[in-house]
Amino acid sequence: MKRFLVVLVVASMVLTTSLLGVTTIKFMNFSSADANAKYLEEMKEIFEEQNPDIKVEIETVGFGDYFTKLMTVVAGGNAPDAFELNYENFYTYAKKDVLLDLNSLLTSSGFDTSVLNERALYAFSDNGVQYGLPFSFSNVVLIYNKDLFDRAGAEHPREDWTWADELEAAKKIRALDAMTFGIYQPVQFWEFYKMVQQNGGSILNEDKTAFTLNSPQNIETLQYMVDRIIESNVMPNDAQMAGMGDWDLFEVERIGMIVTGTWAFSTFKDSCDFNWDIAVEPGNTSKATHFFANGLAISKDSKKVDAAFKWISFLSGDIDVAKIRIEAGWELPPVTYPEIIELYKQTTPPESKEVVFKSLDFLVTPPVIEQFNEMADIVNRHLEAARYGEKTPEQALNDAQAELERSIKLN
Amino acid sequence: MNKKRRKRLVILVFLLPSICGFIFFQVFPIVYSFILSLTDWDVLSKADFVGFENYKKIFESEEFWRVLINTLYYIVLYIPLMIIASLSLSMLLNIRTRFTGVFRTIFYIPVLSSWVAAAMLWRWLLSPYYGPINSILGMVGLQGPSWLYDKVWAMPGIVLASVWKDMGFFGLIFLAGLQGINPSYYEVASIDGAKRWQKFRYITLPLISPTMFFVLIMAIINSFQLFPQVMVMTKGGPHGSTQVMMERIYNYAFTYYKMGYATALSWVLFCFILVVTLVQWKMQRRWVHYES
Amino acid sequence: MNLNKYSRRTVYYLVMLAFSFFILLPFFWMVSTSLKEVKALTVLPIQWFPEKISFDGFVKIFDVFPFGRAIFNSIFISVLITFVTVMSACMAAYVFSKIKFRGREVLFGIYIATMMIPANITMIPNYLTLKHLSLLNSYVGIMLPSLFNAFGTFMIRQYMRTIPDDFVEAAVLDGASHFRIFFKMILPLSKPAVATLTVITFMGAWNDYLWPLIVLTDKNKMTLPVGLSLLNGQHQSDYNMLMAGALISMIPILLIYTFAQRYFEQGLSVGGIKG
Repeated sequence: MKRFLVVLVVASMVLTTSLLGVTTIKFMNFSSADANAKYLEEMKEIFEEQNPDIKVEIETVGFGDYFTKLMTVVAGGNAPDAFELNYENFYTYAKKDVLLDLNSLLTSSGFDTSVLNERALYAFSDNGVQYGLPFSFSNVVLIYNKDLFDRAGAEHPREDWTWADELEAAKKIRALDAMTFGIYQPVQFWEFYKMVQQNGGSILNEDKTAFTLNSPQNIETLQYMVDRIIESNVMPNDAQMAGMGDWDLFEVERIGMIVTGTWAFSTFKDSCDFNWDIAVEPGNTSKATHFFANGLAISKDSKKVDAAFKWISFLSGDIDVAKIRIEAGWELPPVTYPEIIELYKQTTPPESKEVVFKSLDFLVTPPVIEQFNEMADIVNRHLEAARYGEKTPEQALNDAQAELERSIKLN
Repeated sequence: MNKKRRKRLVILVFLLPSICGFIFFQVFPIVYSFILSLTDWDVLSKADFVGFENYKKIFESEEFWRVLINTLYYIVLYIPLMIIASLSLSMLLNIRTRFTGVFRTIFYIPVLSSWVAAAMLWRWLLSPYYGPINSILGMVGLQGPSWLYDKVWAMPGIVLASVWKDMGFFGLIFLAGLQGINPSYYEVASIDGAKRWQKFRYITLPLISPTMFFVLIMAIINSFQLFPQVMVMTKGGPHGSTQVMMERIYNYAFTYYKMGYATALSWVLFCFILVVTLVQWKMQRRWVHYES
Repeated sequence: MNLNKYSRRTVYYLVMLAFSFFILLPFFWMVSTSLKEVKALTVLPIQWFPEKISFDGFVKIFDVFPFGRAIFNSIFISVLITFVTVMSACMAAYVFSKIKFRGREVLFGIYIATMMIPANITMIPNYLTLKHLSLLNSYVGIMLPSLFNAFGTFMIRQYMRTIPDDFVEAAVLDGASHFRIFFKMILPLSKPAVATLTVITFMGAWNDYLWPLIVLTDKNKMTLPVGLSLLNGQHQSDYNMLMAGALISMIPILLIYTFAQRYFEQGLSVGGIKG
C-alpha cells in the first residue's frame, strides 16, 4: 500500500509539472464544418506532435451563424485566441481594432513568408500591417458539360472567348430542348461586381471614395446579364429553377455552363456522370475572375500570443497541411511549394487544372469597405428588381446608386 | 405568524423563482439594450453615445415603413386563417374515436419539424411550374401566381406555410381549453333542443374565450416577430417584399455590425406590439368570459 | 341533418384522412430524402420513393459532430429547462390567478409586456451576465433564464382562472395552507394546461438554437440543433444528411408528445367540480 501511494504521488507530480508546461489555445473556425472536420483534426494532430507543449481546442461553428457567435464572444470579452475570418469580414474586424498586429511576430519568429502566395498574404494586410495569415483560397471558373456541348454542336470554350462567343454557345445548348439551359451565372451582387470589371466598369471608384454603380458600362453589363434571362432565356429565371440549386441542375445535365467556385470540383467529381472540364471565365473588354480567401487571425486580447502564432503559421504555410488539403479537395492551400502545385494539377477531373492558376492572373477581390454586408444587400435587392424585369437595368442601378449614397459612408 | 404575513410569505415563495429570472434575465437586458439603442455600437469596438439619432433615422427611412407594411400584410392574412384552422382542428380532435391519439400526433408533426425541412417542402409545393398547388388550381381553371417569386404573392405563400406549421401548436392550446368545458352544459342544451351551431355559438365560444384571448395575443405577438420562415424561404425577396422587422433587426445586428440601430429597431417593434396588445387587453372585458 | 350516425362518422374520417395526408406529406418527404444517395437528391421529376435506399445520410453525420453525445446533451438540457420553467410558471400563475395582492395586475401586465420584446435584445446582455457569474459553457447557465417564462405563466394563469375561486376560498376556510391547495388541488385540476405547457416548453428547449450556440463552446456539450447546423457547409449542404438529422431530431419530442397525450384528457371529471 505504501509503495503504491508513493508511486501515485510521484506520478501526479510528474503529471502536474508536465501539465503546467502546456499552453492551451482556443481556435474557432467555420470552414471545417460539413465533411472537412476530420481533416482539421489531422492537421491538429501533426501540430501537437511537433509542438508537445501546445494543445489546441478547436471549436467549429457553421458558416451561417459563425459571425453571430464570433461577435458575441468578442463583445463579451471572451474571444478565442485564434480564429478564422473570410476576406469580406476580415476588413471590418481589422478596422475595428479586434485583431492583433502580426508584424513583430513575423519578424521575431523567423517565419518564411515566401512559402505563401503573395496575393493571398497581401489580402490579409491593411496599410502595411499584417493582421492575418491566409488559410485557404479559392477562385471561380467556368465549368462546362462537354457532352452537352457536343450534342448541341457548340464550340468548346477557348482562351480568347468573349461574352459574345459564350452567348452563342449558350443559345445553341438552349435550343436542345425546353428543359435545358445554356448557362447559369446568377444576377446578384457577387457576380455583378466582377462582371462589371469584365466590361471596363466597377462599382466603386479607384480610391473607394465614391460609388460608380450606374456608369454606362455597368448599365450595359447589367443589361447583358438580364437579357440572358429575359430575352434569350439561355439562363433560367428563378421560377424555372423551381427551387433546385444551380449545381443540382448542372449535375442532371440541364445546364451547359456554370460559373462557380473551385470548391465544386469534389462534389462534381462524385455526382457528375458526364464529361466536364473548366475554362477561364470569358470577359468582354478584359477578363476578371473572383478571388476568395479565408484567413487566420489572433485576437488582440489573447494572452497566448506565441502559441497562437505557431498554430496559425503552421496552418497557413506547412507543407503537410497543404498536402492534406489537396488530397481532401478542401479548397486550395495558399502556398507556393512547387510539389504542392504539381500534386494539385494531378488530381483530376477536371483535366484543365492549370485554368485555376491562370485565372489568378485576372483576379479581382471583393470591394471591401467597412459596411460591406450592407452594401451587398442593398445592391442585391435592386438587382433582383432588374432580374424579375420589374425595372430596367438603368432604373435599377440608378435607384441602387441613390440608396447606397444615402446609407453607406465611404471615407 | 399572523394571516397577513403568512400570505405575504406565500406570495414571495411562489413568485421567487420567476422574479429572480425576471430581474437578472429580463430587467437587466432591457435596461442595457435601451441604453444601447442610444449608441452606435458596432459590437467589436467602443460605443459612442448618439442620443435618439437611431430612432430618428428609423422613422425617416423608406425601408422602415416598407418593412412595417410587409409585417402587417402577413398579420392580416395569417391571424384569421390561423384561428379558423386551429380552432376547427381542435374541435375535430376533440371528438373521441379510436384513432384520436393517432390523429393528434399526426397534426402535431409539422410543429415539431424544423423550418429547414418545411421550407424545402413548401418551396416545391409553391413552385410555379412544377408545384402541386398551381397544378390543382389549374385543374379548376385558375392560373396560379408565381408565389415566392412574385412581389405580391410571396407573403401569402409564407402565410400558407406558416399556417400549416403552426396549426397543430395552437390547436393543442385550443384543445386544452375545449377539454375544460364541462360536458353537462352540452347535455342540458341538447335536452332543451338546441341545434349544433347554437351550442357552438352560445356554449363553446364563450367558454373558450379565455383560451381564444390567449391564442390571439400570442399569435399576434409572434407574427410581429416573424423570422425563420422568411430567412429560409425567401431571404426577404423578391425585391424586399418579404423583408420583415425581425429579419431587418437580425441583419443590422449581426451582419451589418450596427447593434445600436438594431436595438432601436427592436424597441420600435416592441412599441407597436405593446400598443396592439394593450388595445386587445382593454377589449377583453367585452367578449372574454371567466367562469368565476 | 338527415345524415345518420354512420355516414357522419364516415365523413369525419374522410375529412381527417384528407387533413392527415396534407400534414404528413413533408414528413414523408423528409424520410424519403434522408434515405437517398446524394446523386438522387436533385432528380426531376421529384422522386417520392428513393430508387436506391442508402443510409449514407445517417452515417455521415457522425463524421461531422458527436451525434450521440449531442442527443444526450439535448435531452438533458431540455428536461432541465422544462422542469424549471413549468414549476416556476405554475407557481407564479397560482399567485396571479388565486391570491390577490396590491399591484398584482400591474405586475402581470409587465410579465405580458416582456413577451413582446424581440428575443435578440436579451441575448447579448444575458451572455454578459453569465460571463460575470462564470456560468458560461455550463448546463446551469443555459437553464437560468428559463426561471422566468411569461408565456407559460400567462397560459397557466388563464387556465387556472377558469377554476372557480370558491374552491380556493372554501379550502382556505377549511384551514388548508396555500401549499396544500396548490399541490393537491389546483395543480391536478390544471393537468391539461400543465401537460400542454410541458410539451411546448420541451419542444422549444429542444429546438432552441441560438442560445446554446453562443453559450456552449465545448464540443462535448453541444446540443443537437447546433450540431445539425454544422451540416451546412460554407458553400453547399448535403440534403440527405440534413433530413436525416432533422428526422432524428424530431423523435424524442414526438415520444414526449404521445406520452403526454393522456393528460390532455383529464378534464374536470375529478370529484364533481364545475357547475
